[in-house]
Amino acid sequence: MKLILNSIKYFSATALIVILSLGTTETMHAQRLKHPVSRGGNKSMAHKPASRPVSRPTTANRKITTPTNRGGSINGGHTKVISRNNLPNRNTNNKTTVNRNRPTINNNNKQVINRNKPTINNNKGKQVINRNKNTSNVKTINRRPGNTGGGRNNININNSHNNININVNNNRHNHRNTYVRHSHRHYTRPPHIFGGFRFYCHWPYYYHPYRPYYWGPHWHPWGYFVTSLATTAIIVAIIDDNNDNNEEYHYDNGTYYLKTEDGFEAVQAPIGAQVPSIPDEAEKVTVNETNNYYYGGAFYEQNADGYIVVPATAGTIVPNLPEGGEEVKIGDQTYVQFGDTYYQPIQVDGKNMYEIVDVLEDE
Amino acid sequence: MKKFLTLFSLFAISFSQAQTKSIDSSAVYILDKMADIIGSLESVKFDIDTANDKLDVDGNLSTYYATSNIAMTGPNKFTSTTNGDAGNFGYWYDGEYISYYSLTEHNYVTLEAPETILTMIDSMHTAFDFKFPAADFFYPSFTDDLIEDFDTISYEGQRSVDGEKCFYITATNADKHIQLWITSNTTLLPKRLIIVYKTEGNLQFETSFYNWELNPNIPEAIYNFTPPPHASLISIMAKS
Repeated sequence: MKLILNSIKYFSATALIVILSLGTTETMHAQRLKHPVSRGGNKSMAHKPASRPVSRPTTANRKITTPTNRGGSINGGHTKVISRNNLPNRNTNNKTTVNRNRPTINNNNKQVINRNKPTINNNKGKQVINRNKNTSNVKTINRRPGNTGGGRNNININNSHNNININVNNNRHNHRNTYVRHSHRHYTRPPHIFGGFRFYCHWPYYYHPYRPYYWGPHWHPWGYFVTSLATTAIIVAIIDDNNDNNEEYHYDNGTYYLKTEDGFEAVQAPIGAQVPSIPDEAEKVTVNETNNYYYGGAFYEQNADGYIVVPATAGTIVPNLPEGGEEVKIGDQTYVQFGDTYYQPIQVDGKNMYEIVDVLEDE
Repeated sequence: MKKFLTLFSLFAISFSQAQTKSIDSSAVYILDKMADIIGSLESVKFDIDTANDKLDVDGNLSTYYATSNIAMTGPNKFTSTTNGDAGNFGYWYDGEYISYYSLTEHNYVTLEAPETILTMIDSMHTAFDFKFPAADFFYPSFTDDLIEDFDTISYEGQRSVDGEKCFYITATNADKHIQLWITSNTTLLPKRLIIVYKTEGNLQFETSFYNWELNPNIPEAIYNFTPPPHASLISIMAKS
């Protein structure tokens, strides 16, 4: 037994040495060529937080310097970490090997930047930087068990980068009611790949700006607030609702309201809501060879009791999107996002439309 | 004894891996000189033409062409505008913010950015897959990065590009083969770069450099981004 344990320990140690000797295979890519050395502790390449604190701690010994816009090298100066001493001399036909043992930084080879160079017009016409500039929301894709077709346990994993300011969307109603069912239709087009996810669509990307659509005077966009509802409003029954919250939804002519302390707020249609009728303006959309109905950003299936709100299904094409979406640049494409649902702008027969994207996480 | 033999064989394997590298000192000398010159610049302007191979839906080759105008002033100003088959867009970095504006879609992204050109380029590429034209050459350890990443780097003599004498250098590893032309006059600068992606059907990326201006006096205003009227500020997805 002792012999077996020793063998296991020995094997583990050997395996560790093998792994360490091979190095990290997943070197980060930068641009078209890899720049592992540039990332390797080089002072000029040290990552700094993109989002800087408003106030910084000061120390008595710290010299306060005002950054100037001119007078610095564009990249901090050429640095050489790998020793050139062991490189072969071309004329002597030496054996061509590289010293793979990373030497300490050769300070003698480091470029000396002439910091005494006079700056030109440093004060005149100095730009005043608008520090109140509006910046974009930075988002991450929700990972969940079973990707987009999973349950309602949204886990927003922020494992992106420490220097990025992530604004998490805490709109629980949007998240709860916007998960996407996968489509079983085969995609012939290659996916748009970004950040470990694949975005599948049947139609090619065709950008057109997001313009929220209004479904007439009876429909109210999400966030619309009223102190009281019309007498035609009904309390909605939620079928198969696993949510523990006792939220009271009301429905009136295609708009859903959530009861709050002060009144009623228009919200996204809750999945599983059973209603007796939907507005006449609802459009038929084809989902997996069956017909659904689309109105006000909600999808309905007809049943014996009327209509039930169902999740969006990937591949579904809709002509319009309601208010409440957000244009998000994902790689080199711009989608409209509602919670966990992404709509790709497309063009069908010359008309601008949207296709629901099937988002799959890379294996 | 058995342990000793195993460890010895492991080190022998590592050593044999090192033996397979073939780095030409002449090539490194030329690359170092070019990196020295780039590293000593306080400002620079240049233009590039790119040709980027992609496979279409049917697996056929499709080449996308683009022209970019680039300007930067050390240590924290950068701008580039690109017009091409894949769209028209630009970047503006003023030391505080980086803005990406798509002329094609008429929308833009503005983000707080790190404090130097290279940290900005690196972090934006890592986080959002921003691709800055010709950025590779401006990494301060450009030569070291090539030595680290490629198994073979060799100087192949002089060749002419657009009537200009250039040093011709090649580098190869398992995934990529690159060809690099560096002007052989007093200021060694990149003239042409071709990357062949060997494991991706030999797709090719080519960049040609021209209109180099070294240490020009560039007005700071060109680095500031002002959104055009009716352009939309949109959100952006970070890579997970």
